[in-house]
Amino acid sequence: MKLSPIQADAIQELGNIGAAHAATTLSQMIGSTVEMSVPAIKSVDIAELGNYMGEESAAMVVFELQGDIQHGGFVIFYITRESAIRLTNTMLGLTEMDRPMNEMDESALLEVGNIMVSAFLDATAELLGFVMLPSPPAMTIDMVHAAMSTLIVSMGDEIDEVLLFSTELTCDEHKIDSDIIMMPNNKTLAHIVDLMEKMMNPA
Amino acid sequence: MPDLPPPEGQTAMIGIGEYRIGSFPMMTIGLGSCIGLTFYDDTVKVGAMVHIMLPDSAGRTERPGKYADTAIALLLKELTARGCKTRSLIAKMAGGACMFEYFGANLNIGERNAEKVRAILKENNIKLAAEDVGGKVGRSVTFLPSNRGKFSIRRADGTNCEI
Repeated sequence: MKLSPIQADAIQELGNIGAAHAATTLSQMIGSTVEMSVPAIKSVDIAELGNYMGEESAAMVVFELQGDIQHGGFVIFYITRESAIRLTNTMLGLTEMDRPMNEMDESALLEVGNIMVSAFLDATAELLGFVMLPSPPAMTIDMVHAAMSTLIVSMGDEIDEVLLFSTELTCDEHKIDSDIIMMPNNKTLAHIVDLMEKMMNPA
Repeated sequence: MPDLPPPEGQTAMIGIGEYRIGSFPMMTIGLGSCIGLTFYDDTVKVGAMVHIMLPDSAGRTERPGKYADTAIALLLKELTARGCKTRSLIAKMAGGACMFEYFGANLNIGERNAEKVRAILKENNIKLAAEDVGGKVGRSVTFLPSNRGKFSIRRADGTNCEI
C-alpha cells in the first residue's frame, strides 16, 4: 500500500517512540550513550532488494509479529558482524576483536535483540492500544539479502513490494552500529495507519 | 529488457524474480530460500539465469521470473527461439535454504522451490547437471556463459565452490 505524507509522518513518529525505548534499553545494557537516527521509511520492490541489502554477513535477531494479526510481518534487530563482536565484548568484558563468533556471542545477541524488540513493541502497543506480540526470536548470522528475502517469502505469495521502517542505533564510545527494522505486512500496516489517524483526529 | 547486455566488462545483477539471457557474466546475490537457476547451451554458447522466489504462479502472469513454473517455461521458450535444443541444455541450481524454521505462512519454501524446479526440468527432459541446495546457509552465484557456463557459489559460511 502507498502511504500519504501524513500517514508516513504518523508511522515515523510511531517508529521514533518504539526505537527510543529500544535505545534506552541498549544504553542500560552497555552502560553508554546510544544515539538514534530519524526513522527512515523505504518502499522497496523485491527485484531491487539487492540495492539496499547485500551479501555481507550480519547478525539478525528476527521476530514475527503475531497477536491480533497472525503472520503480521517482522521486526528485526540488525547488527554488523564487527559491531556485534564489539557489543558482546562490551557486555562480557572482553577485548579481543579478531575472533570468530561463538555460542556466547550468539546467546548474548539473542538476549539483547529480545530485550530491545520487546521494548520497541511495548512502546508501540501502549501508544496504539493494539497488541503486536513478538514470536520467540530466531537468530541468524548470514547474508543480509538471503535472510531478508527469505522473510519476505514467508509473508506471502503476492508480495512484490515491502515497506521497511528502519532506525539506526549507534554508540560512539564502543563503535557499535545497529538497526531496528520493522517490515509489516499490508494488513498490519493498514491497521496501524488506521489507529494513528484515529488518534490524531478523534471524532 | 532481459536481452539487454550490461555495459562492457560488467556483470548483470539478477534481482528477485528477474532473469537475463545472453553470453555476458551474470550474478545473483544472497539466495536464501530462493533458487538461482541457470541454463547453458554449449553448442549455441548462450546462457540464462533466473532468481526464482516461489514454486507456483497459481495463474499469475506478472513477474514470470518469480515463480518456478512460469520462469522455466519462459526461459525455455526464449532459449529455443535463439536456436537452443532442449536436449543440449544443461541446468544448474543453488539456493533453497531453510534459514528460519517456524516463521510465516510459507513453510519449507526453499525445499519446495527446489523440488518444483527438479520436477519441471524432468517433465521437459532437461538435464539438471548439478545443484547445491538446502541447508541453512545463504549463497551468491556467479554464472559465466562465456566460460562454458561456469557456475560458482559463495556461501555465507565462507566456503566457496563450483558445480
